[in-house]
Amino acid sequence: MIRLENVTKAYSNETTALRDVSFDIPKGEFVFLVGPSGSGKSTLLRLMNRQERPERGAVWVAGANINELAESRIPYLRRTMGNVFQDYKLLSNKTVFENVAFALEVIGKPRHVINQQVPQVLDLVGLAGKEDRFPNQLSGGEQQRVSIARAFVNRPVILLADEPTGNLDPATGEGIMSLLDSINRFGTTVVMATHDHRVVNAMRRRVIQLDRGVVVRDQERGVYE
Amino acid sequence: MFQRVSYALRETFASFKRNMTLSLAAILTSAVSLLLVGTTFLIQRAFDNLLVQWRGDVGMIVFVRPDAEDEQIKFIEESLRSQPNVINVEKLVYLDQSASFDEAKRVFANDPTTLSLLTVETVPSQFKVVPITTDTVLVRNLADQYQQLPGVQAVSLAEDEFEVISTLSQFVRVVTIAMSLVLLAVAVVLIWNTIRTAMFARRREIEVMKLVGATNWFIRVPFMLEGLVQGLLGAVVSCVGLWGLNEAWTSGVAGFKPGTGVSSLVVPGSYVNGVMIALVVVGALAGAIGSGVAASKFLDV
Repeated sequence: MIRLENVTKAYSNETTALRDVSFDIPKGEFVFLVGPSGSGKSTLLRLMNRQERPERGAVWVAGANINELAESRIPYLRRTMGNVFQDYKLLSNKTVFENVAFALEVIGKPRHVINQQVPQVLDLVGLAGKEDRFPNQLSGGEQQRVSIARAFVNRPVILLADEPTGNLDPATGEGIMSLLDSINRFGTTVVMATHDHRVVNAMRRRVIQLDRGVVVRDQERGVYE
Repeated sequence: MFQRVSYALRETFASFKRNMTLSLAAILTSAVSLLLVGTTFLIQRAFDNLLVQWRGDVGMIVFVRPDAEDEQIKFIEESLRSQPNVINVEKLVYLDQSASFDEAKRVFANDPTTLSLLTVETVPSQFKVVPITTDTVLVRNLADQYQQLPGVQAVSLAEDEFEVISTLSQFVRVVTIAMSLVLLAVAVVLIWNTIRTAMFARRREIEVMKLVGATNWFIRVPFMLEGLVQGLLGAVVSCVGLWGLNEAWTSGVAGFKPGTGVSSLVVPGSYVNGVMIALVVVGALAGAIGSGVAASKFLDV
């Protein structure tokens, strides 16, 4: 589903964000990217949804080298992926329903599809009945659920999550993890960057560990260490 | 489709409200610049009316009495043709009475009093003479000579009639075109800035839109619409101003005595309408294209 071949990414300030990174993520897998801040986890995710391009190497998603994709095709690549962030990136002037509907609206889905899919996904993430709340009327965990609903409403084949539990207390984080786990069970490939020991150790999934831009460990059913 | 249109309209309106002051500045600047552009066209047209008889380097006009005999006309023409050192024989043109009447209709377009005194029968026919020499004394001597010929009503020299006007017209043209170009540039910069501010205000939304796979066109269209509306509103304001200016000018000129030539400075309404349509098109295009370019530039994340 996702394959990186000898990817090197450098930023202009001469620091190398990623050096010669290669790995293969099969369809339906759940992968943790772990490592300290600045080790290149977020950069990896940004390469996968083509927010950035590597200096060297290739990034393959669903059989296509996305760095050779025409600029006009990128929106269609992104429609196959969901993105979840540490800071949720919700629109504060829109309600829960509108935030999720927005993702379908801007890719041109008709109203009747929106009215059918949004309640379904809100139900899935456990926010049924809170459609008309605004983000600032919700707890952090609930806000993250909205953002997961928005990422998942279009049934993406890949979900990229950047520190989704980073702002949440352990119990709430656990809830978010079980939600991501069930999304993974629907067949969605999940790639999650984190430095939250507990969730990694509790889940026992594949762990790719980075240190200063280099893969230092790639382990099935791993722990954080 | 309806979904997208209503989305774009909603966003355009919301953004417009959010950036009210900047939008107003952009609208007013484009209005003033377009008004200047329009005024330039009207002034040119007014001067053109005045100079219509002198098109194509005509330096001297011999007006022939309406009751002149054919032999007299022939004699005038032959004597003109016998002066190849002074006049350009190739370019000698004779306007018969009906052609002269057509021309008079243009010159006196807004001087119905004078025009009503003229008919195809009473209008003088004319020889348009293009001098070949730059020696004005020679041309003037020739004019004096023809003044005496039988059948000649009058001889007009370009020098006396319009050299001042022509110089003035060129000067006004240069100044107004330069000013309107500068103002048009200012208007585009202001529209550009409004769009940049609008996009900055919505950067989170744009980020989300890009991440969920909205196409660049989808993101761009509301901003282009906003720019288009600004340009369009500016153009409408400038049209109102232009119309008012022309009305004031027309009624002002009507106060002059008929036949002084000043009355031909009036611009016909159909021409004003044409200029106004052009302004609306230019305003809308400048707004839409300017903001489209701005939106594309700031979409590159």
